[in-house]
Amino acid sequence: MSSSPDTIEMSLPFKPEYVSVARLAASGIANRIGFDVEVIEDIKVAISEVCSKLVGLGSKISENYTIAFTLRKDRLDIIFKCSDDSLKCLFNNSNDELSLSIITALMDDFELCTTDKDYLLSMSKTLKEKG
Amino acid sequence: MSSELNFKEVQSENLYELYVSGEVDIYTSQVLKSKLYEIIDANQKDLLIECSELNYIDSTGLGIFVGALKKVKQYNKQIYISGLKDNIKKLFVITGLDKLFIIKE
Repeated sequence: MSSSPDTIEMSLPFKPEYVSVARLAASGIANRIGFDVEVIEDIKVAISEVCSKLVGLGSKISENYTIAFTLRKDRLDIIFKCSDDSLKCLFNNSNDELSLSIITALMDDFELCTTDKDYLLSMSKTLKEKG
Repeated sequence: MSSELNFKEVQSENLYELYVSGEVDIYTSQVLKSKLYEIIDANQKDLLIECSELNYIDSTGLGIFVGALKKVKQYNKQIYISGLKDNIKKLFVITGLDKLFIIKE
């Protein structure tokens, strides 16, 4: 059996009614890694913030966006992927301050990057040893 | 898909109490906005938003609370928020909204 981390990908329509589906999936996946309930709630909120912004912007060329969850031993990596440039201007609006402050406070890393054809937004949360 | 947000309303002479239960996100937020604005305009009283059955809220919902506060201030009234769960109270602290609203334990 391969030792590479498992990745779970989901493709969601740019529709508000499916943001709760992303939260539910995130909850199950974070629980699988061993995060406690409080941290799982934080992850759900951060994911929901990005999904809401994506849904708000929509896309001209794609009906769906993708969320990839990579389950590492002590970390959850989450990558939002969109072929459109929707992600590029995701948090450019002054009204996005609330959303940005929440995501950066709740997640360990939060970054926007681009490849030749895709716009990616990545965030991660590391499992902390209980002291 | 059914709405995952429900309300119960209790009126007294000087206070309007709105009990919010369920989840507030981009899908349900407009229902919350309509409900709050309707109550504020129709009653012009102090408003208590009771949140002990509110399981989830994100920045969309918090933004609506801020909008409702601006509206209630036009009538020189106040919004009180009570029963916040720890995970939601944390969002009020992160965003500084705990200083804007009167939060009751």
